[in-house]
Amino acid sequence: MVAGVARYARMLAGLARYTLAREMAFRGNFLVKVSVELLWMGILVAFYKTVFAKTSTIAGWSEPDYFFFVGCFFAINGVIETFFLDNCNEFAELVRTGDLDFLLLRPIDEQFLVSCRKMDWGTAPNLLMGAILMGIALAQKGWTFDPARASAFVVAFACGVAIAYSFMMMLTSVSVWMVRNQSLMEMWWLFSSLVRYPREIFSGRGAETIGRFFTFVVPILLVSNVPADVMVRVLDPWMVAWTVVVAGASLWVSRRFFHVALRSYRSASS
Amino acid sequence: MPIIEVEGLSKTYRVFRKKEGLLGSLRGLYRREYNEVKAVSGISFSIEPGEMVAFLGPNGAGKTTTLKMLSGLIQPTAGKATVLGHVPWLREDAYRRRFALVMGQKNQLWWDLPAADSFQLHREIYSIPKDRFDRTLGELTELLGVEKLTRQAVRELSLGERMKMELIAALLHGPRVLLLDEPTIGLDVVAQVAIQKCLRDYHESRGVTMLLTSHYMRDVEALCDRVIVITRGTLVHDGPLAGIVERFGESKLVRLQFVGEPPDHAELSRYGEVSKLEGPSAAIRVERHRVAEALADVLNRHALADVSVEAPPLEEVIAKVFEEARPAHDAA
Amino acid sequence: MTPPDAALPLPAPPRPGPIRALVKYARIFRVALIERMTYRGDFLLGTVLRFLPILTTILLWRAIYEGSGQTELGGFNYREMVAYLLLTNISRMFSSMPGLASGIAREIRDGTLKRYLIQPLDLLGYLLSARVAHKFAYIMMSFLPYAGLFYACRGYFDGFPDATQMLAYAASLILAFAVGFYFEACVGMVGFWFLEVTSILYIVMTLNFFISGHMLPLDLLPQPWSGLLKVLPFQYMAYFPAVVFQGKVRGGELLFHLALELFWAVAFAVLARTLYRAGLRRYSAFGG
Repeated sequence: MVAGVARYARMLAGLARYTLAREMAFRGNFLVKVSVELLWMGILVAFYKTVFAKTSTIAGWSEPDYFFFVGCFFAINGVIETFFLDNCNEFAELVRTGDLDFLLLRPIDEQFLVSCRKMDWGTAPNLLMGAILMGIALAQKGWTFDPARASAFVVAFACGVAIAYSFMMMLTSVSVWMVRNQSLMEMWWLFSSLVRYPREIFSGRGAETIGRFFTFVVPILLVSNVPADVMVRVLDPWMVAWTVVVAGASLWVSRRFFHVALRSYRSASS
Repeated sequence: MPIIEVEGLSKTYRVFRKKEGLLGSLRGLYRREYNEVKAVSGISFSIEPGEMVAFLGPNGAGKTTTLKMLSGLIQPTAGKATVLGHVPWLREDAYRRRFALVMGQKNQLWWDLPAADSFQLHREIYSIPKDRFDRTLGELTELLGVEKLTRQAVRELSLGERMKMELIAALLHGPRVLLLDEPTIGLDVVAQVAIQKCLRDYHESRGVTMLLTSHYMRDVEALCDRVIVITRGTLVHDGPLAGIVERFGESKLVRLQFVGEPPDHAELSRYGEVSKLEGPSAAIRVERHRVAEALADVLNRHALADVSVEAPPLEEVIAKVFEEARPAHDAA
Repeated sequence: MTPPDAALPLPAPPRPGPIRALVKYARIFRVALIERMTYRGDFLLGTVLRFLPILTTILLWRAIYEGSGQTELGGFNYREMVAYLLLTNISRMFSSMPGLASGIAREIRDGTLKRYLIQPLDLLGYLLSARVAHKFAYIMMSFLPYAGLFYACRGYFDGFPDATQMLAYAASLILAFAVGFYFEACVGMVGFWFLEVTSILYIVMTLNFFISGHMLPLDLLPQPWSGLLKVLPFQYMAYFPAVVFQGKVRGGELLFHLALELFWAVAFAVLARTLYRAGLRRYSAFGG
């Protein structure tokens, strides 16, 4: 078990090293990617600054709390994009061309190789940008260090990444049946719109049911809500526990789903 | 104890039947019809350790599909197979560590990186001990004469050099079974020979079992001593190569265009098997060493407007002959 | 994609008449349309997912209005705001051109552009007809779901505007398509001089998302930003058609902006063609 984990960690480090070498061969591209992400962060800040010029709270979230949430979402999304998004995006193409063959032949977990093959270094700074935004928000809020909240945040953050990853894996697997599926990048952007806002906006007739649906049935809302909540709002141990359970379960389900999908893989020969 | 055992292996695909025209495609949105395509139907054979076997058959006969089932990439619809005692499509790590698949039309190396980096990654993935890795890599690069190219980005290599790198990548972990799908496709003769030599040497030193498909009879002749012929998803011949090469590999297709009345069938049959005789033109399959003699003889006797000598596409000829022979065989 | 030669089995005469040319592009249109319909599963999943951002956006703005305690923000009340955001989706349906610029850049880089030099086929004409087909199929397929969405959200609207406004709306949408198409074509043409176009494209598109008014009405921004953004061409890809439908722009101002929109469409069309010509000269001079 320990040897296995060490082996995969070594492999991940190797893959990260080689992708970095490649990325550095196209440095201009890398810089552009980073600047797009910076620009996007700027747009988000401009948007919410404009909005908070007209109001003092959104769904019960004050301005610093809300910016902490935005930073938290940005950081989680950064992790997802750095490690998985590009790989999952390429999966449809691997299926279409049959190049998936080579990944299946390796004596190593298929899901690991499919989803962690390349690292997108251009989005790695997003984690940092999100952290900076969270830091600024905490300072503005006058947050004092609380070990219980901080550790709950770390746990919930990791679970958020795991849940988001699982949902993305399922969206990815679908492309085995729908060869030439439109870019997963776009699908993920649409789907993750659920993660971008606080759960509290789902209030009022009908919306509350939808909010509960996406918290308890398709629990995507937990991804950025729970870590932000435990840090700057209420620390609800039951919610953290639920998030941990959901993270484990969704990892398991997405893995099963991926394997079922692989059984339908036809290996196109060109 | 056979190393590869295949029994009644079948693969059927369900193919969406695309309708013609705009209306058809609109209807296709709501109701779809499917065709069943039998890529492989009920193939059985077994291979002993150390054998080198060629898979022959025309395009679309099911060779690649069979290889892909044996490598565990796709699941068969029916039938059984074991390779090295494993069921391939379970894709156990223990199995994947012990075999390799080389596909001539695809590349598995990282395009923008030097091959050496991809090899290092292979070392991690296959958990190859460092000393064994260095030794094998040294041997293989020397054997293929590419010691100096491993530090160059793969995209800058020629097709032949790239194929050699692919082969090295496939052999690094010392597979016991090697499946090769068109390993020399598109390569020039020099590179073809180098790859054949490498495979032969590797076979001699390691006793690896090989199963290969190729369009080039030269590959088959150089490497294999047993041939399995597949047409339309069924196995039609399984036996030693020797007889087949004598029968077909050594013949040429001589096309003759006579001036005026051509000679009759019986006369032409003296040179070889007459495959066509229509009006003033004829095609005869003549054994290679008799071509010159036959041509001289024909020229002595008749006036010719045109002559050509062609090498028939051998594996297709073989497949065709077996396919033609099959109904008779089945009836018997 | 089907290469153009598959749609054109016969070599065209050197100088085709206008009818022949029309038939030729109509055929490309048909092939592209059939191709689109084949991928239905993909299409359905995409359509379902497309509604999620709409839902969350409506909820977010409700929370914003509730939080502010005001009925109007930047001249929009809550109902108008939601209607506006829904309408920008219609604008974007016409003006967004996924894969256009990157497609042109790829053809330049891979050298497949050569086929437009060999065949009697104009690159911009080909891309335009393929894009119109793509849009047509897309709009046709999304008609029902969108009709359902707008019906469900009918409470946010005050019925249909009058005939003149509808006409102006239709014109603004068609021009939005033209501005979007030729603007992205221009970005793609930059590929003749600068290989990594996709990266510029990302920056432009990211920025466009905000400055076209897709995220919020430009009126909410403080001056001078809102005034500046209303002169730039980007607002016509999202903001302008929406406010035309809502009747927030009328009379002389409406005519002025329609004229300005037309000006931008023509300007980008001329620029795209000029860049294409200059690019081709450079391309053939350097041998690709």
